[in-house]
Amino acid sequence: MTYSQWFAAAAIVCLPGCSTLSLEQVDYGWPVESVLTVSQSNVIEDVRYGLRTGVGAVAQEEFQDSTALRGARLRLLRNTEGYYFLTGPRFKHVYVFAAGPSTLVLNKSIPVADAGLKSPAFNQRPPYVELIDGDTFRRLLSSDDIVEVKK
Amino acid sequence: MRRLFLLMFLVPALSAPSPAQRSDYALKSDFEQRARTLAARLDSASTTEGIDSVRDDIARLEADFAPHSEFLDRALYPLTFSESVARLRALQVLTYDRVYLIRTQGLKLSELEARINALTGRLDSLTAQRDQLFGELQESRKSLASLREAVRRLTANLAAKDRLIFAIVDSIFLPYGKDLHQVADVQKEAIAQRLQNANVVTRVYEIAADNVKFLDVTQLQGKDYAGLIDQYQAFAARWTGLKDKMTDVAASAAAPPAAGAPRKGARTGAGGGSAQPGAAESAAMQAAHVDSVLEEWHRKLIGAFWGGLRKEFTQAGITVGDFNDGPSFASSVRAYVASLAASKQDPQPFVENLWKQKIDRDWRDGLTREGMLGRTEYAALDRAVSELSKETIDATFIAYIAGILAIAAAVWYFVFRKKKPAVPAAPAE
Repeated sequence: MTYSQWFAAAAIVCLPGCSTLSLEQVDYGWPVESVLTVSQSNVIEDVRYGLRTGVGAVAQEEFQDSTALRGARLRLLRNTEGYYFLTGPRFKHVYVFAAGPSTLVLNKSIPVADAGLKSPAFNQRPPYVELIDGDTFRRLLSSDDIVEVKK
Repeated sequence: MRRLFLLMFLVPALSAPSPAQRSDYALKSDFEQRARTLAARLDSASTTEGIDSVRDDIARLEADFAPHSEFLDRALYPLTFSESVARLRALQVLTYDRVYLIRTQGLKLSELEARINALTGRLDSLTAQRDQLFGELQESRKSLASLREAVRRLTANLAAKDRLIFAIVDSIFLPYGKDLHQVADVQKEAIAQRLQNANVVTRVYEIAADNVKFLDVTQLQGKDYAGLIDQYQAFAARWTGLKDKMTDVAASAAAPPAAGAPRKGARTGAGGGSAQPGAAESAAMQAAHVDSVLEEWHRKLIGAFWGGLRKEFTQAGITVGDFNDGPSFASSVRAYVASLAASKQDPQPFVENLWKQKIDRDWRDGLTREGMLGRTEYAALDRAVSELSKETIDATFIAYIAGILAIAAAVWYFVFRKKKPAVPAAPAE
């Protein structure tokens, strides 16, 4: 047997073992949004889902003041794909984050209300996330855009 | 024309305000809030009619949210929608049973209060009588008959106080059934208040202390102890039960309410709730105080009992190994019985004069109590002593029989075997 034949045989044996194991059809979606109060140390914590994160960067981005969200009640929902949707009263955007190792990385900041939201809430409407505010404001959001507007 | 007709209907329809939007979170919160309100109403309910109305409201809650059951099953984690409703229904049934029980017992709280007051008054008069009896006991030491009478009256007084204090305790706990865990916190506070008003722990302590004093100043006889042991054991058992309940009640009264929520069934506002931060610690300290005097009562009672029994042996001039409890007493008696059997000494003084005349007659009731010697062990000891007596009886009995037989033989020989008189000769014709 030649070297090339040995190499081919080894590749046949080893290559399937080197491929990455992945699980399909994962549903990350939370059935209901979490309403989380920002602590004095600028942190929100969701006990049920075991999530704890600082929100100073969001406050800086939205209000140009990293302490602006202290005491505010933010709305957080994870969609079926695994993206986190975050917004709150007076927000003009919905922030969509992807989970990374010990970080939430901004995937998209979606502008939703020029005048700012008053009393927003998220609903899980697979494959989208519904954003409502008051009795008439409604948007269907994907992880990077508004897909439907209803006024 | 057709377009105009369509516009007439479609434009108003499109411009009409859409029905109010509702977030899933608001739906979940609404359900939870209504369920909490119903649970609170059940907790504070005091009439079966009120509980019936809550039952209807539970049915209404279920009907209102049934269209969202699939969502609520996921959102109410770890419970499902049906489990949440079932839990409310179970609470409603439990509350109904409790309230119904209180109602059917026919014991209104006001009547109970009156009963507790009456019992407390009788207890106080018995306490006054007790002081007088202790005085009489001191004076009547000269005459044995009057001493015995004073002891009898004092024992009866202490037993009556014992019964009364636990009658008060029963009256306080009776309306709440056997399972105190199912009693609402607000009711536990009421129990704690009544226990405090009736001064229950102090009275329990006093009764135990009276018994200690009684044992200190009284010379008891063997037959007195069985009743005293029974009284102590019953008192200690009832105190243990009361202590557990008091701990439960005090823990509930002292428990801080959950953050952001009023305590279960507790009153709110300035006049509500009498939670005391140190209530549990205070109750534990009081209980420990009673425990210590009860321990002293037990120690003195047991010490007096075995001391009195040792004295019986000494007075009978019989020396046995030292004993101060059931096992050492049994061991000493068995050793003495074995030594008597081996030495062939006359066992009569021990068997007849001490065991039968004193121990078996005066001390048996006390000895047969569990925790002293016990019925089985006493029977075994009594059998061992009786065997000793049997052996001696057998030897004596045989000697007696032999003697009697010898005397009978002698009598027969001398009386019945006398020579018969000779037959007179026939006269010659």
